Amino acid sequence: MNWRRWLRREEKEANLARELSFHIEERVADMVRSGVSEEDARRRVRLEFGAAEQVKDECRDVRPARWVETFVQDTRYAWRNLRRNTGFAAVAVATLALGIGGLTAMFSAFDTILIRPLPYSDPDRLVMVWDDLSKTDDRTKSFPAPAEWYEWRRLNTVFTDIASTQPTEATLSGDAAPEQVPARKVTGNLWSVLGVKPLIGRVFNDEEDRNGVRVAMISYGLWQRRYGGSPDVLGRKIDVNDTPYEVIGVMPREFYFLPARDIDLWMPASFPAEMRRNFGWHDEEVVARLKAGVTREQAERSMAALSLQVTAKDYPRPHRTIMTSLREDLTGKTQTALVILLAASAALLLIACVNLANLLMSRGLARGRELAVRVALGAGGGRLAAQFLTESLVLSGLGALAGLALALPAMRFLASLVPETMGPVRLTLDWRVLAFSAAAAIAAALAFGVAPALQGSRTAPLDGLREGGRGAAGTRRYWFQHSLIVIETALAVALLTSGGLLLETFRHLRNTDLGVRREKLLTFETPLFRYKENDRRDAFVSAVLEKIRAIPGVINAGATSRLPLKANETAATFYWISGQPRERISGQVAIIRIVTRDYLPAIGARLREGRFFEASDRHSDAQVAIVNETFANTNFPGRSAIGAQFKFGRTGPKGYWYRIVGVVKEIHEVAMEEATRPVVYSLHEQGSDQLMIPPGGIAVRTAVEPASIVSAVRQAIWSIDKNQPIWRVETFDDIFARQLTTPTQSTALMGAFALLALLLASVGLYGVLSYAVTQRTSEIGVRMALGATSREILLTFGKRGLVLTVAGLAIGLALSTVASRFLNALLFGFRPDLVPIITVVSLILLGVAALASLAPARRASRVDPVMALRSE
Amino acid sequence: MASPKSDLPQGTLDLLILKTVALGPVHGYAIAQRLQQISRDVVQVPGGSLYPALHRLETRKLLSAEWRQTASGRDAKFYRLTRSGRARLEAETANWKRLSETVGLILGMAEGGAQ
Repeated sequence: MNWRRWLRREEKEANLARELSFHIEERVADMVRSGVSEEDARRRVRLEFGAAEQVKDECRDVRPARWVETFVQDTRYAWRNLRRNTGFAAVAVATLALGIGGLTAMFSAFDTILIRPLPYSDPDRLVMVWDDLSKTDDRTKSFPAPAEWYEWRRLNTVFTDIASTQPTEATLSGDAAPEQVPARKVTGNLWSVLGVKPLIGRVFNDEEDRNGVRVAMISYGLWQRRYGGSPDVLGRKIDVNDTPYEVIGVMPREFYFLPARDIDLWMPASFPAEMRRNFGWHDEEVVARLKAGVTREQAERSMAALSLQVTAKDYPRPHRTIMTSLREDLTGKTQTALVILLAASAALLLIACVNLANLLMSRGLARGRELAVRVALGAGGGRLAAQFLTESLVLSGLGALAGLALALPAMRFLASLVPETMGPVRLTLDWRVLAFSAAAAIAAALAFGVAPALQGSRTAPLDGLREGGRGAAGTRRYWFQHSLIVIETALAVALLTSGGLLLETFRHLRNTDLGVRREKLLTFETPLFRYKENDRRDAFVSAVLEKIRAIPGVINAGATSRLPLKANETAATFYWISGQPRERISGQVAIIRIVTRDYLPAIGARLREGRFFEASDRHSDAQVAIVNETFANTNFPGRSAIGAQFKFGRTGPKGYWYRIVGVVKEIHEVAMEEATRPVVYSLHEQGSDQLMIPPGGIAVRTAVEPASIVSAVRQAIWSIDKNQPIWRVETFDDIFARQLTTPTQSTALMGAFALLALLLASVGLYGVLSYAVTQRTSEIGVRMALGATSREILLTFGKRGLVLTVAGLAIGLALSTVASRFLNALLFGFRPDLVPIITVVSLILLGVAALASLAPARRASRVDPVMALRSE
Repeated sequence: MASPKSDLPQGTLDLLILKTVALGPVHGYAIAQRLQQISRDVVQVPGGSLYPALHRLETRKLLSAEWRQTASGRDAKFYRLTRSGRARLEAETANWKRLSETVGLILGMAEGGAQ
């Protein structure tokens, strides 16, 4: 507080007192002059003038910024009060810190990922356009082909423009040590579609893209890392995959767009002419900007129709498109997780508030005398309520500060919730988060402060001053506190059940049979677009695999068109089984994986029946295929699939017949949360180029630590083709762990919230019962003096704890069934059995509640009647 | 808060105080005495109304105050009208006159005369 202003305040107070006493003295003097005795005069003046303190207070009230003064005064009073009750203050602040800190951290993630505008101009008008090859209702997103992008751009009526990009990888060399960086090939109009500008330099345009001009944009990170942040980088020629590219611009630090990892380099896509007619090569990610006034639904309908028209003659199967908002695409399933976790953390703060309301009310009752004295001295109800609320605000302010200290490390943990697609986005403690935290603190103060404040403001001077305060009023006073206990118990139960559901799901996911042996399996990708003809490609892939198998420590190696669990994207086609009516085709879609002969054994796939591919399955032979269990069970229920013939890809007269030679146990090809679907494994060397999906995913089974052979693998490939890109090198364990990021995080967070909730609820129960015992010590004394046994007293209090807990449990379980419905999105299609979870939760809760009630109940049962009665 | 506890209509106390102070610098007790005398004991202002009103008028800069000695040699807080206080007094007085004339007119209306 400002010292001089404080001096002014003292002076004002002194003047006020002088002014009033002058009035009173003058009046008394006048009366004495008119013959009244001084004693009598003073008494009469007091009646006539009113209570001096009250008059003073009313005079203070008219001062400007009076509320500030009152607030400051109340705050100091509150602070003194808390200092005198450090134990209570510590518990309260810690409780609030957990609640506010948790909510703040969750909000920072929520805000960063879901609310903050994406770094593009008018980002809400941006959509992604995907192929829907499934032709069923399940809307499976597939990458469009460059030819489709080309046609869409030419013919669409709903977009201002439409850009296409594809991930690639670049080896930077020449100017410094060679460095492999994630890169993207993008059409020249990407920058204008997104509405982004470079930090320095310029972006490339359509014309440069069309003419194959070798120019590149680099990321802020690469600029700082490799080029020292110098503006000289503009115009510099850098070697990208041994080809000189001119750097023309640096993108701002906060720019990101669809990275698999953070992208460091953008180059023109410069599609070769034949790509513009090729509808088979699906590797593009297409982003478009909606025209003003066009809704997403209109655009989606229009594009679906256009796509059918475009693919009608050029593609084996005409197909529609799917449109997603860019945000949806970037955040994916993180969205639901965030909403649920934010709700859970809000519930935790609510429990903390309920708990504190209870504690404060108990204290309010205990402070009856103090309040009664203040009322007797002229403090009004409003004034007392304001004092109570100020105390709550002070507590909650301290709680928020401590909460921020907790939120910072929590945010580091939450940072991994940021989807990979959002690239360099980080969680920061900025003004938005601080403002939210302050708002949460104020809301919390109101939530836990209002009831105690109202209760305090109703203090009647006589009640409080009367000793003991026992009697029938007690039960009614507890009614509100008891309901609070029931509420917080119910919330804790709901959180525990949700935590249980997530934990069960997590365990289920962790133990899911992936159909792949996870340990010691190295995977990487090597794009094969430079090997266009099937024979050359096959020769290359075979040579690569041969070299890899020769590396010491490698047991086996195989290639697939897409590694398991890698993406939600699916290469799927229609199939038709020999003997079926033709019209069945349109409803039958299978995921296609083009693999080499050793792939399935290498990843540790298991056969249910039949055999793997063998050396005798040559391309000249009749085509063979291996299918998964879902395929077999769907199409051949109750009988063997072996020997059955079917067509896929080309199902017309020109298409090959494939003979099923084996059925493998389910391999999780798509993301963990997706239901299993029919899968066909077809041999690459048998001329599967009708589908144009080259086996660029390599899996290496090792006897040694997979990381130790990575450089040997690179060397093996580069010894055959030194320009062959290799990327996404990771163990299958890593892929699996990444799949589990969201479930791991949500389970850990929900678990933490649930345990804290349980802790708070039991502390609350303990607090209320203990308080009741303290208040009723004399009553207990009387009952014991009248012959009640310790056991009876123990039961009385134990029973109360039990009744409250059971009521909370019942409401909580009802709440849980509602909550579990919202949780579905996080359960990954898995439906855990609620009954065992509820049983465990109930047992835990009853156990904890028994412990929390036992201590106060025992204390009650040990009351010495003589002591209790004497303490009156 | 500071509602006048006398039976005076809301805001009237302020007007009376302004008028009393307009006659020359005067302390709070004297204001109360004068109001009571002039009104022949009709207006009795308890301290709980008078002083908050004085402080309010001072806060609004309609009154200024200074500490001076009284004739009997005691220190007292003397109030005087400021320029804006005088302006307000005139405006309020005019207002009051108009209002009381109107009220008087209506109250003095002959019964049934309105028909």
